[in-house]
Amino acid sequence: MQRAMQPTVVLLKEGTDTSQGKPQLLSNISACLAIAETLSSTLGPRGMDKLIVSERGDAQITNDGATILKLLDIVHPAARSLVDIARAQDAEVGDGTTSVVLLAAQMLKEVRGYIEEGVSPQIIMKGFRQACQLALDRIKAIQVTVDKKDPESFRSLLLKCASTSMSSKLIHSEKPFFSNMVVEAVQCLDQEDLDESLIGVKKIPGGGMQDSLLIHGVAFKKTFTYAGAEQQPKSFRDPLVVCLNVELELKAEKDNAEVRVEAVSDYQAIVDAEWEIIYRKLEAIEKAGARVVLSKLPIGDLATQWFADRDIFCAGRVPTADLQRVVQAVGGSVQSTCSDIRREHLGTCGRFEERQIGGERYNIFEECPKAKTCTLILRGGAEQFIEEVERSLHDAIMVVKRAVKNGDVVAGGGAIEMDLSAHIRKHALSIPGKLQLVMIAFAKALEIIPRQICDNAGLDSTDVLNKLRMKHANGEKWYGVDVDGLEGVRDNMEAFVWEPSLVKVNAISSATEAACLILSIDETVRGPQSEAPSTGPRAPPGTAQRALRGRGRGMPRR
Amino acid sequence: MAEPQAMYATDEYGRPFIILREQAKKTRTHGVQAIKSHILAARTVANVIRTSLGPRGLDKILISPDGDITVTNDGATILTQMEVEHQIAKLLVQLSRSQDDEIGDGTTGVVVLAGALLEQSEALLDRGIHPIRIADGFDRACVVAVEHLEKISDKVEFTLSDTSNLVKTAKTSLGSKIVSKEHDKFAEIAVDAVLAVADFERKDVPFDMIKVDGKVGGSLADTTLIKGVLVDKDFSHSQMPHSVRDAKIAILTCPFEPPRPKTKHKLDITSVEEYKLLREYEHDKFHDMIKRVKDTGANLVICQWGFDDEANHLLMQNDLPAVRWVGGPEIELIAIATQGRIVPRFEDLTAEKLGKAGIVREVSFGTTRDKMLVIEECANARTVTVFVRGSNKMIVDEAKRALHDALCAVRNLVVDNRVVYGGGAADISCALAVAKAADETPSIEQYAMRAFASALDAVPLALAENSGLPPIETLAEVKSRQVKEGNSVLGIDCMGRGDNDMKKQFVYDPLISKRQQYLLATQLVRAVLKIDDVIVAGQAEE
Ligand SMILES: Nc1ncnc2c1ncn2[C@@H]1O[C@H](COP(=O)(O)OP(=O)(O)OP(=O)(O)O)[C@@H](O)[C@H]1O
Ligand SMILES: Nc1ncnc2c1ncn2[C@@H]1O[C@H](COP(=O)(O)OP(=O)(O)OP(=O)(O)O)[C@@H](O)[C@H]1O
Ligand SMILES: [Mg+2]
Ligand SMILES: [Mg+2]
Repeated sequence: MQRAMQPTVVLLKEGTDTSQGKPQLLSNISACLAIAETLSSTLGPRGMDKLIVSERGDAQITNDGATILKLLDIVHPAARSLVDIARAQDAEVGDGTTSVVLLAAQMLKEVRGYIEEGVSPQIIMKGFRQACQLALDRIKAIQVTVDKKDPESFRSLLLKCASTSMSSKLIHSEKPFFSNMVVEAVQCLDQEDLDESLIGVKKIPGGGMQDSLLIHGVAFKKTFTYAGAEQQPKSFRDPLVVCLNVELELKAEKDNAEVRVEAVSDYQAIVDAEWEIIYRKLEAIEKAGARVVLSKLPIGDLATQWFADRDIFCAGRVPTADLQRVVQAVGGSVQSTCSDIRREHLGTCGRFEERQIGGERYNIFEECPKAKTCTLILRGGAEQFIEEVERSLHDAIMVVKRAVKNGDVVAGGGAIEMDLSAHIRKHALSIPGKLQLVMIAFAKALEIIPRQICDNAGLDSTDVLNKLRMKHANGEKWYGVDVDGLEGVRDNMEAFVWEPSLVKVNAISSATEAACLILSIDETVRGPQSEAPSTGPRAPPGTAQRALRGRGRGMPRR
Repeated sequence: MAEPQAMYATDEYGRPFIILREQAKKTRTHGVQAIKSHILAARTVANVIRTSLGPRGLDKILISPDGDITVTNDGATILTQMEVEHQIAKLLVQLSRSQDDEIGDGTTGVVVLAGALLEQSEALLDRGIHPIRIADGFDRACVVAVEHLEKISDKVEFTLSDTSNLVKTAKTSLGSKIVSKEHDKFAEIAVDAVLAVADFERKDVPFDMIKVDGKVGGSLADTTLIKGVLVDKDFSHSQMPHSVRDAKIAILTCPFEPPRPKTKHKLDITSVEEYKLLREYEHDKFHDMIKRVKDTGANLVICQWGFDDEANHLLMQNDLPAVRWVGGPEIELIAIATQGRIVPRFEDLTAEKLGKAGIVREVSFGTTRDKMLVIEECANARTVTVFVRGSNKMIVDEAKRALHDALCAVRNLVVDNRVVYGGGAADISCALAVAKAADETPSIEQYAMRAFASALDAVPLALAENSGLPPIETLAEVKSRQVKEGNSVLGIDCMGRGDNDMKKQFVYDPLISKRQQYLLATQLVRAVLKIDDVIVAGQAEE
């Protein structure tokens, strides 16, 4: 966020307003509102999805605010700062990316009138910052802390946070299943540094979403193999694993070398020498005791067959990221020569297996002694579904990770926002002057979250908000929107709509900063570079579709 | 609908400004209107393939832009070749493809079901029910239906010696295909092929071990199952014997030629003397290689690479039949089947590495001069090849697809031998169960659940319609009999046998196939109902 705070020169695209001062400010606000309006229908448990088709013709279905904004390709400079806060929220806490944009835009909307009347943006910014501080203090004061010592209740806290974050997504109906999966995945990790990049995600099209599975270890798709691979054993217990960055193929040792052959009889000697080189490598690997051989580089047919003869499994061209995860999980290190492989360079795992999952074969390492890692194998009826599942799980994983770090939660569904709103309003009354108005505007802006959740669910938002205001006036601080019941409101703490307070803290402070940032821009300058086309060379439109056409299904190769 | 203003804002002076790149070219629809237009698109696609469902379903002829003709009844194939443009309709294509990848059969049924569910949800939308509540209701109904499927499922018993039930299953799956007049033969082939490669303990059927090959010529009835490997090659020399008994096979991935270094090399030949030396060297090498092969006791050479005429002649003279230019995958199959080892150079060849087969023979086809090699009675019986014949390419292709469905159907039973009864029997029974559950549900979801029950009727309705029966009456009659007799095996009598008992007609679908159909269709419908906004980046006009 800090970086985005002081843009000196904002690049302009054609069509951007070049006016100065107030008109510029107002037009920036309109731009932000237009963006928020596009996003608004995706908020909450009855939020809808967007299908966005890129110029290349590939479609994405998503409910995630950050993803939608990224795909929309927004060029308006002020509106782009909304894209930035959504992205920052995504990186920071994963969830709440739609909320943060809606909040920022609503804050601007609530003060638009004052700007038109000539209230100085400086005062508004000051009021926003004060109100924001009040809100953050209030969250600290009322958040509920779950004791980590009790594993049972702590786990159930994590499950609840995970399922709240999933409730607006495609996987909504499989919440219990996926919450369990996410919590288990996070608990696989080392609880000290919780590095979520150690959770691998693999997608296999086909099957229902509920056929997804969690593997306690590393899994990657069977790599391209040469003849002979089918004669290798496919399952081991406690094998030694070697990871290489070596090409195991019969080939010219140096590309630019050339030998002069004196007589024909020398041919054999050179050939023998070449074979000698590869056989020596292979023998070194066998001698080191490795039963599973992986390499980033190709493993040719000769080596494949040689290993098959010795009951060793091999896989070449393993993607770098996968190999890295294997090394982290089984131990050892990636070797770039075969000449000196010692025991400490090898890793091991409890069980290695090549297994069929859906229509694909996977190499799976389980019971790994070293790093704690796991792999989510996602299934779904269409690629777009799986990608959306992945995004939703990412949100949930981040949320759970945050919750593991500190077990503070607040109630969602607009409950916390209503409480903050009431709190700020009460406080504002004690402040005289314009600042009071600005703080009340901030308080009103917070109500956008419950209001939009209601609107999206087809509830009467005025009615529900009135009920909520009454409840909060009576000190029922966890009352929020209930999209299922007839009442429209309920105690969301009791209904287990829990969110880590960090999500809200981050959302409110970034939204405030973004609103202030936009309020501080009163002129946009067109930089000379902005004339140049910003996207790289473009393929002619429709290339992708054309390329896809006419391939036919053919006979499945089985 | 006030659509444009969202993406196109004006400032207080009414001047428009651009928020998105190339805004003018992006098209956009949203709201309930958008959902309805999506439903319409999806239903249009579903209606196209509805007519090919079931044993009396019709085939489609698809002509590609290049003029290639495909005749098929397979849902996934039709959809893939239809070149659907609409984004939502494309999801249906993916849907049937995932059914195909996972199960291999039921690709038409899943689309018909999804289409029916969408049709039902349209009515619910009109009644003002929130799309996500509809999806939630469908999900609940789907859970009920899937549980009910398990309840009414039956186990199909089979053993290696008694495969009649498997054959019947394969026949059902073939019933709707072009090969139906040969379906006895195809069903037998499918069952034998799967059983030959199946690992009953691990319940694993490695499809890689079943090769399906085809050649135009002959008729469907000439299709055969080869318990071994078929290689589209012949012996390298026409005077070599046309068959080898008790073959001991050297499987080589090195060429029959003097070894050449991979490193770049140069050999200057300056005199006649040196040239002669080179000739002699090569000659010696050939003899040496042939000797090494013969010493191991091999009587057949299969070579991944080629050799020149001289080598060929020498091989022939030495009574060593050989095959050249055999592709990598075939080499591997041969090695697995004959339990030989793939040998990379002559020095490494030993007697233990030879593959063993009872007979290797050349077969020729009709009047054509094409020949193929058949390797049979192999040491390892777990590789088989199905060789499909047919009078033209379209038929061969469709027969291969049909066979694939049948292989999948049998495989599914080997993996999980629970089945439900076909001809719509299971769907009707589930519809009844879901309707009952709906009556016990107090919330709004009950409407969606009832709609789900009605959608389940789509499969039997389509089956009846495609068989020329009056759909509504037929369904009503079967349904009331199911209720009255409490018998979940009654379905649509598509073949006019005068009996609705699908158990007696041996019409069944694997449980996992039906289950997957319900899950996938429900999932797709949720996705479609949840999308209220489609934003398409425009294509620059050029
Ligand atoms: N069961 C529920 N009932 C009521 N409100 C809920 C429920 N579950 C979640 N919410 C609320 O929905 C809002 C979250 O909506 P949503 O997930 O669509 O947006 P986001 O989290 O802001 O952004 P994104 O998930 O796209 O990054 C939160 O305010 C949350 O409290
Ligand atoms: N003899 C029969 N009598 C009644 N119904 C039958 C009979 N044979 C098959 N069926 C039914 O027909 C349906 C299968 O039709 P079909 O094979 O055309 O489509 P599919 O399996 O959904 O898709 P595809 O085979 O194209 O992948 C199943 O519901 C099955 O129960
Ligand atoms: Mg969320
Ligand atoms: Mg079928």
